Amino acid sequence: MAMTQQLTVAGPDLERPAEGVAAANVLTMRGIIKRFGTTLANAGIDLEVRAGSVVGLVGGNGAGKSTLMRVLCGGTTPDSGQIVVGGADIDNGHYGPSEAQRHGIRMVHQELSLCGNLSVAENFYLEAPDGTGLAPNWREAHRRRARAALDAVFPASGIDIDAKVGHLTIGERQMVEIARAAANADLRIIVLDEPTSSLDQERSHQLREFIRAKSAGGTAFIFISHKLQEVIDIATDIVVMRNGGVVWHGEACNASIARLVQLMGGSVDALKAHGKQSSAGQRQVVARISGPFTARLGHDIEIGKGEIVGLAGLEGSGQKELLHALFDPKRAGGGIDRQGTAAFIAGDRAKEGVFSLWSVLDTMSIGRIARRAPLAFVSDRVEQAAARQPAAQLRLDEGRFQSSILELSGGNQQKALVARALLADSPILLLDDPTRGVDIATKQDFYRLCDDIAGAGKALVWLSTEDAELLTADRVLVFSGGRIVEELRGKEITEEAIVAASFSETAQAAAREAGDGVSGSSRLARLAMTSAPFVGLALVLGIMMGVNPKVASVFGLDLLLMPALSLVLVAMAQMFVIGGSEIDLGAGAFAGLVSVLSATLLYDNPPVGLAAILAAVIVYALLGALIQARRIPAIVVTLGASFIWIGIGYSLQPTPGGTSPEWLSALVGWSIEGLPTSVILIGLVGAAAALIDWMPLGVVLRGFGNNPAAMARSGWGTVRHAFIRYGLAALFAAAAGLSLTAINTASDINSGNSYTMLSVAAVVMGGSSLIGGYISPAGVVAGAVTLSLIGALLGVLGVSSDFNAATQGLVLIALLTMRSLMADRRDAQ
Amino acid sequence: MNRRFDFAVWAQKNPWSWSAIAVLLVWLILSVVTSRFSIASLSGIVLSASFLTVIGIGQMLVVATGRGNIDLSIPSVLTLNAYLALIVIHGDDGNLALGLGLALVLALAIGAVNAALVVLLRIPAIIATLATGYVLATATLMANRAIPGFMVSPTLKYVASSRLGGLPVMTIVALVVVAIAAYVLRYTAYGRKLSAVGQSRDAARLTGIHCGRIVTSAFLISSVLAACTGLLLGAYINGAFLEMGQAYLLQSIAAVVLGGTPIFGGAATALGTFFASILLILIVSTMQVMGLPPGTQDMVQGVVVILVLALAGRKAGLVRLPKVRRAKAETG
Repeated sequence: MAMTQQLTVAGPDLERPAEGVAAANVLTMRGIIKRFGTTLANAGIDLEVRAGSVVGLVGGNGAGKSTLMRVLCGGTTPDSGQIVVGGADIDNGHYGPSEAQRHGIRMVHQELSLCGNLSVAENFYLEAPDGTGLAPNWREAHRRRARAALDAVFPASGIDIDAKVGHLTIGERQMVEIARAAANADLRIIVLDEPTSSLDQERSHQLREFIRAKSAGGTAFIFISHKLQEVIDIATDIVVMRNGGVVWHGEACNASIARLVQLMGGSVDALKAHGKQSSAGQRQVVARISGPFTARLGHDIEIGKGEIVGLAGLEGSGQKELLHALFDPKRAGGGIDRQGTAAFIAGDRAKEGVFSLWSVLDTMSIGRIARRAPLAFVSDRVEQAAARQPAAQLRLDEGRFQSSILELSGGNQQKALVARALLADSPILLLDDPTRGVDIATKQDFYRLCDDIAGAGKALVWLSTEDAELLTADRVLVFSGGRIVEELRGKEITEEAIVAASFSETAQAAAREAGDGVSGSSRLARLAMTSAPFVGLALVLGIMMGVNPKVASVFGLDLLLMPALSLVLVAMAQMFVIGGSEIDLGAGAFAGLVSVLSATLLYDNPPVGLAAILAAVIVYALLGALIQARRIPAIVVTLGASFIWIGIGYSLQPTPGGTSPEWLSALVGWSIEGLPTSVILIGLVGAAAALIDWMPLGVVLRGFGNNPAAMARSGWGTVRHAFIRYGLAALFAAAAGLSLTAINTASDINSGNSYTMLSVAAVVMGGSSLIGGYISPAGVVAGAVTLSLIGALLGVLGVSSDFNAATQGLVLIALLTMRSLMADRRDAQ
Repeated sequence: MNRRFDFAVWAQKNPWSWSAIAVLLVWLILSVVTSRFSIASLSGIVLSASFLTVIGIGQMLVVATGRGNIDLSIPSVLTLNAYLALIVIHGDDGNLALGLGLALVLALAIGAVNAALVVLLRIPAIIATLATGYVLATATLMANRAIPGFMVSPTLKYVASSRLGGLPVMTIVALVVVAIAAYVLRYTAYGRKLSAVGQSRDAARLTGIHCGRIVTSAFLISSVLAACTGLLLGAYINGAFLEMGQAYLLQSIAAVVLGGTPIFGGAATALGTFFASILLILIVSTMQVMGLPPGTQDMVQGVVVILVLALAGRKAGLVRLPKVRRAKAETG
C-alpha cells in the first residue's frame, strides 16, 4: 500500500507551477482517492479552500463527506491524492491527527470527545496543557481560557465552566466542544461536523456570527450540515457530494435548498436496474406498528409477509428504536404487535453480529440453537447439514464453514449473519444497515438475495443509512425526531422524497433538547448521593455519643478513630485504582508487607529498610503498567500479587512481632491540646489525596478513568499513567502499612488483609463510581471511617461483633442498589 | 515442521492440552529429580485437586459469562455449608437427606442473590459477590458458635476420603462433574448460549438468547458446586474451621485461568480446569515436599498466576489477529 502511495504522489512535480495560485488557498486537496474494499468512498476528489472562506459541505448519507474530512484531519490515509496545507505539501505516509493539528487543522466531531466526568475548564486543560501544573492557581488560567472561549463564540451562554461536562445538556456540550476547538491559537481550518444538530435557533445564530467574525480574520471553515438553510446562510462556497465525488461546487449565492436537495439526490439507475417482483396476492400481516412511532402519521402501519419495508431518515431519528422495538416488543413497552419471532441482522457486525471466538458454522447455527431448550443436543454434523441450504442460496462456500468468522470479508460475514437469520426460521427479518462496509458488487448480490427472501414469504424491515438502497423497497417509512413522518409507497419512493421528508428538522431539535434536560428531582437525588457518606458517618457518631457520652471527648474520639487511619489510607490507594475503573485486591496485603518491612528491616537497618519499601512501591507500580500494557484483568493480577506480598512478609517474619521504629511511633504519638490526634491525621490524609486529585495529574487520571480513547487521542501516555496511578496507590498503601506498625507498635503480615475488601466498600460508599473517573476523597474518608466504626457501634448497641461483616456487606449492597436504581431512572429519561 | 504446525492448531482448539502437558512435565521432572514421586503420590495430589476442580468448574461458568464476572463468594459458601453439615447432619446419615436439601436451598438462595445483584441491579459481579461474602461471613461466625461437635456423616466421609479400586471416590465425583460440564458446554444448546453471552452480550441478545437467564444459571451452579464441596471437604477434614475456604479464592480463579478459559469469558474448558487444578496442587505439594517455607509457597503461587496471565495476554492477542492467515484466506 505504501508503494502505491509513493507512486501516485509522485505527481506533485507536475503541480509545481500552480503553486502561485495555491498560495491563496489555505487548503488544496487534489485527486483524493480512498477505497474500502471495492467501495470507492472518495473517487478522486478535488477541494480548494481559500483563507477566510466558509465552505458548506453537503451530501446525503454515504456520499463520502466524512471520509474526506477524516483524510484531511489525518484519521484516514488516502490511497492516493495530494494535500497542500498553507503552501506546504503533506507527506501522506507520515500524516496523523497530531500532524494535522500542528498544521492548524481542528475538527469538531459529531460524536463528542469530551471527558464527561471533568469540568468544562478541565476539558480545556486536557486539550492544551501547559507548564502551570504546580502553581496554586493553575486552574485559573484554564478557567479564564474556557470562559473567554465560550463567551467569544456563544455570548451569555450561561454555561458554568466549573460544571461537569456530563451534567450539561447535549446542546451545551456541543457548545463547549466547538469553543474548545476554536480557542486554539494559529488555526488555519476548523471543520465543523453537524455543529448545530443540538443547538437551538439563538445558539446556532451565535455560532454563525462567530464563524463570520473569525473567518474575516483569515481562518477558514468547513461547515458540514444537513440543515441546508443554515449552510446557504453562512457559507461563502458550497460543495455538494454524491457517491464519493463532488457533483457541484459554486458560490453560496447561486444555491437554493431545492437545488441542493436535487443535487444531493440523483439517480441510482444501477441499483434500480435489477428491479423487483412485488409480491401480489393475499396480504398476511406479521407486525403492526402503532403508538408513539406513528403519532405524527395518524394511522397504524402493518407489515405483511413478502414485503420489504425500508426505514429512512437522518441518523438518530428513531429508526433504530423502531427496529429494536420490533425485535423485542416487550422491552419497547407497547405500540408493537408482532406475530411469531423476529431475526436480527446487524450492520455493526463487530459489536452486534459476529462472535469473535467462533467458526463460520457456529456463527450461523446459533440462529437455530438460540431458542432451543438448554439441554437440547447440538451436533456439528446436523447443524452443518441444516446450514448447507441457506449457505448455498447465499453463495457462501461450504468449505469456509470451519474458518474463524473473523477471517471472512465483511460481505461474507454479512452473508453468514443472513444465513443465521434464515436458520432461525422467523417470519420477520430485521436488517440494521446491513450493507455497511460492504463493497458494491456484494451489495448488488445482497439486494437480489433480499428480493428472493421476500419472495419466499418473509417480511423484511430494512434500516438503511444509504437512501439509494431503499429504492427497491415496497414501502419506505421516513423518520424525523423519533417519529414516522412519511410513508412512501411504490413510485413515490425517490431519493428526493426521502431527503425532503427527513428534513422536518424543527421537531427533531426540540425533541432532543427536551429529552436531555436535567430535572430538579435528579439534581436532588445527586445531592442525596453525594452527602450519603457524611450523613451516615454523622449518624453513626451521633448514636454512639448518645449511648455513651464519653465518646464525644477528645480522648474518646482519638481512641475510637485511630484504628480507622490505616483503613482510610488503604481506601485512598483503592480510590485511585478504582478511579481508573479497575479494582485492586492486593492493597491490604501490600500494607501488611510494608508493615512487616518497617518493623523488621527498617528498624534494624534503616537504609536497607527504606530501599526495600521503595523497591516494593516500584514493583507495585510496574504491575499497574503490566496490567495496562498486556490488557490483563487487574483483579486477578492484584489477587496474585497479594500472595506475593504475603509470601514475602511471611518469609521475613513468620510470627507477629518486630518493633516499631521510635520516629514512626512518634508520628502517631503526638498530641495537640484539645484536638484528637487521629482526627487530624485522617484529615491530613484526606487533604493529601484531595490535593493530588485537584492537581493536573489528578485531572488527567480522572480523564483516563472516563474516556481513555479520547485521552490517548490527545497524546497522553496510557501505560505511563497506569504506572503513575498504581504508584500513587502503592504510596498510600505503604503509608497504611507504616501506620499499622506505628499504631500496633509491632507488625503482623496478616494485619492488612481485611482492609482490601473494606477499602473497596469504603470507596464505593464514599460515592466513587466503579465505572471509573469519578472519585471523591472526602466521601471515601467518611466511608472508611464509618465502616471501621461499625464494629464499635454494634458493641455500643449491644449487638454481637459477629454481625460486623454482615452489617458492612448489607450497607454496601443497600448503597449500590440505591445508586443502581437511580442510574436506571436517568437512563429511562 | 508440518507436524508441529498441526499440533499448534489442535492445541488452539483444545486449550486444556497446555495444562495437561504442564502437569505431565512437572510430574516427570519431579519423579526424576526426587525419587519420592510415584503414581501413589500423584493419586494423593489428584484427591486434593478434586475438591478444587469441583469449585473451579463453578467459577469457570461464571467467568465464561464475560464482562469480568467472577464469584468471590465461593469461599464463604463453601465454609458455611461445611458448618451446616456439622449442625444439621451431626454425624447421623439419617439426617443426610435433610442436610443435603438444606445445603441445596441455601446455595440456590445465595446464587440467586448474587445473580439478582448482577443481572437486575447491574452491580459489578466482583462487588456484588464480595458483599454477599461479607454477609455469609457473619452467618459462618454464628454457625461456628452453634456447632454441637465435630461429627461427620459416614456417607460424606466415604465419598470424600475412600478409594474405589485405587481411585479416590472424590476424584470419581470430580471426573463426573467435569464430564457433565464438558458435555454440556460442547454438545448442548446451553453451552452454545453461554459462550455467545460471554463473547458479546449485544450480539447474543439479538439472536434471541435470554442473557439474564444464562448469567443467573452460572451463578446458581457456582454456588451449588461450592456448597457440595463444602459438605465433602468438611467430611474430609473431619469438621470445619473459619478459614477453610480462604485458599480457594485465588486457587479457583487460577484453576480457571491456567486451564485455558479466557478470563474475559466467551469460552470454557472443563478438562482444562481439571488439569490446572492438579497442576496447582502439584506445585503446592511439591513445595511442601521440598520443605519450602509457607511464605515462599505463597509467592510462587502468585508469580505463577501473574506470569501465565501476562503470557496468555499475548497469546490471545496473536490468536485474535491472524493477519497473515487472514490475508491468505481472503485472496485464496
